[in-house]
Amino acid sequence: MVKFTKEMKEALRVPGKGGSLIYLCTSSRDGKPNIAAMRFVATHMDDKILIADMFLLKTKANIKENPNVAVTICHPLDEGRWWVFRGKAVDMEYGFPRDFDWYGANATDILNEWGNWNKAEPPDEVPPDIVFPKAVQRGVVVVHVEEVYSIEPGHVGEKVL
Amino acid sequence: MKAWIEAMGCHLCVATPEGVPSVVLGRYAEVRGDDEVAFALAADEAGVIAPVIAENPRVAFGVSRQGGIRAAYQFKGAGEILQSGDLYDTVAAQAKEEKGIDAAAVLRVRLTELYCTKPGYEAGQRLDGMTPDELTAWERQRWKDVPRKRD
Repeated sequence: MVKFTKEMKEALRVPGKGGSLIYLCTSSRDGKPNIAAMRFVATHMDDKILIADMFLLKTKANIKENPNVAVTICHPLDEGRWWVFRGKAVDMEYGFPRDFDWYGANATDILNEWGNWNKAEPPDEVPPDIVFPKAVQRGVVVVHVEEVYSIEPGHVGEKVL
Repeated sequence: MKAWIEAMGCHLCVATPEGVPSVVLGRYAEVRGDDEVAFALAADEAGVIAPVIAENPRVAFGVSRQGGIRAAYQFKGAGEILQSGDLYDTVAAQAKEEKGIDAAAVLRVRLTELYCTKPGYEAGQRLDGMTPDELTAWERQRWKDVPRKRD
């Protein structure tokens, strides 16, 4: 059973609060991988990663047919954030049953707290030529992390948690 | 695009035939022509992805570090693990000289798909239908801070 460290929780926040830009890696059911950078990230409980569903296309389609995902730090990498979090994900979209549960995470709790993420944690640190003109959030991806391995040079593949 | 890949390296994503993804860093990258990238992999990095690629050659990658936002592209293609030959020798030597990497293998990815991952209305747009010149023009309209480009 995974329990995030303090450093992991600090890293898995939005970049403007000292966190990270992350990569969310998914796969189709027959093994076609997909990798996309995400800015809206947080932790929930001790073993869940939350990611806003704002502009997800292939990522969303993959999660709907195959819950296996990997999350890793894209930037900054030079602060010891050499982790890959592997687990199972669901996209809790608006309209989910209020009592929907994903490994202990409740849909009502998640959407009440994180359902308007752009307002709660606006992307003030994002350069103006990149920031999106209008945020349209459709849900929250909840990753139940089952294992963590390292991508630190010299220790790649070693189990961290 | 080529400059970002080579300057920052990439996050390499593979998946088993059953759809379980794994990630390692491609810390040294060499762009070869318009549709091929070679990554030098240390023994531990190759140890994670080589067994997966042996069963399923599909690879997706994005640029590491600031490139994740400043070079918002996703590249997809077919990967091949090389442990000998001219390409292996050339890339391994350059990786050792430039980044001190002892390459146990080289991952050659022949690119077949390119997507925009810039957040907003263009997210997910497929770009590999453009010619290289059209793509360069498209890129320069959006990003002005491409590493090592003079204009």
